[in-house]
Amino acid sequence: MKRAHRRTHFAIWAVLGPVMLWLLVLAVQNRPAQPVNESLPDALIEEAR
Amino acid sequence: MSHDYKAVQWTPFKKRFDLWMLGGIAVYLIGFVAITYASQPQGDSLAPVQALIRATGTLAFLLLTFILCIGPMARLTDRFKPFLYNRRHLGVTTFLVALVHAGLVLMWYHGFSETNALVSLFISNPRYESLHGFPFEVLGFVALLIMFLMAATSHDFWNANLGPGLWKALHMGVYFAYGLLVAHIALGAIQFEKSPIYVTLLALSAVTVVGLHLVTGMAGMRPSDRTANEGWLKVAPLAEMDDARAKIVRPVSGEAIAVFRDGNKISAVSNVCRHQGGPLGEGKIVDGCITCPWHGFQYRMEDGQSPPPFTEKIATYATRIVDDVVYVNPDPNAPGTPQAPSLIGAEA
Repeated sequence: MKRAHRRTHFAIWAVLGPVMLWLLVLAVQNRPAQPVNESLPDALIEEAR
Repeated sequence: MSHDYKAVQWTPFKKRFDLWMLGGIAVYLIGFVAITYASQPQGDSLAPVQALIRATGTLAFLLLTFILCIGPMARLTDRFKPFLYNRRHLGVTTFLVALVHAGLVLMWYHGFSETNALVSLFISNPRYESLHGFPFEVLGFVALLIMFLMAATSHDFWNANLGPGLWKALHMGVYFAYGLLVAHIALGAIQFEKSPIYVTLLALSAVTVVGLHLVTGMAGMRPSDRTANEGWLKVAPLAEMDDARAKIVRPVSGEAIAVFRDGNKISAVSNVCRHQGGPLGEGKIVDGCITCPWHGFQYRMEDGQSPPPFTEKIATYATRIVDDVVYVNPDPNAPGTPQAPSLIGAEA
């Protein structure tokens, strides 16, 4: 693998990795106490309940 | 081999690999649906389509996680090298599994609307400011588009026409697709799933992929600080040179060098395959030729040329053996230049 490619590869993971893990921690910390899927249409949620 | 657009050919090994892969996928899907229904609390009514959506979604994510671990793992252990050789098939299969997942989602959650299902995906939930109500499906859709681009250009026709550099840059999009998928799951399934299994699996997968890439990336960029013997780089004692394998040396400037042992001969070539920049030093000698671990491109040890009718050439390097230690001259010869190997037992 080319040296330049290795550097790019490493730089991508050095940026992407922390962002990904930060988002994961944030998402887990902000989970609603009563889990709901608010992105589903309300009618479907009602029907499921 | 490296002629026209037919670099990667079907071999019995590849066929066996694909059969195992398809069998594994079938077992996972059936097992996932069976366990989901068996462990469902009384009163819950999960539709078969929903179980399949979860099964295909988790499978696509786990497959992509595995694919992203293959490269760094192959640098750490030889056991992963066969997966390197078959990574392309795994990648296209992952896209197809993700496509089924997306198709089922569109059909089940958006197909009953009067609005077109694809349009509905983008407009049914505009809560981009909310963390636990974020329209996570859009993230998955963008990741799927990236995976489509990669699957569609995975044939060597595109590698030959775009050039290895641009092709490789395009295929590094998989890293962003993975990031989008982590966000897709974190802002989607994690927000409404009560089971800790999903959070644990997602966190373990992401930490493993990121950790492996950073650790092996750092090791791969570190130059070999072993200048000795009139500017020649020390490779390794002869006793550490395994037959038909290579040691990789990284000069302070220039590309890495792969130093191979074939019986009593020591030869060195560039570590960069002409096909897609694969690490030749992680491959081995097959039928007397250095064979790239990624797609099987081959080069002769003595001159760095692919055997006829193929025309690829890589740089060669002079080697020498002093006191049972192998050294390599870091100044490359022009690609395809014949370079006599050092003979073990014939050193001065």
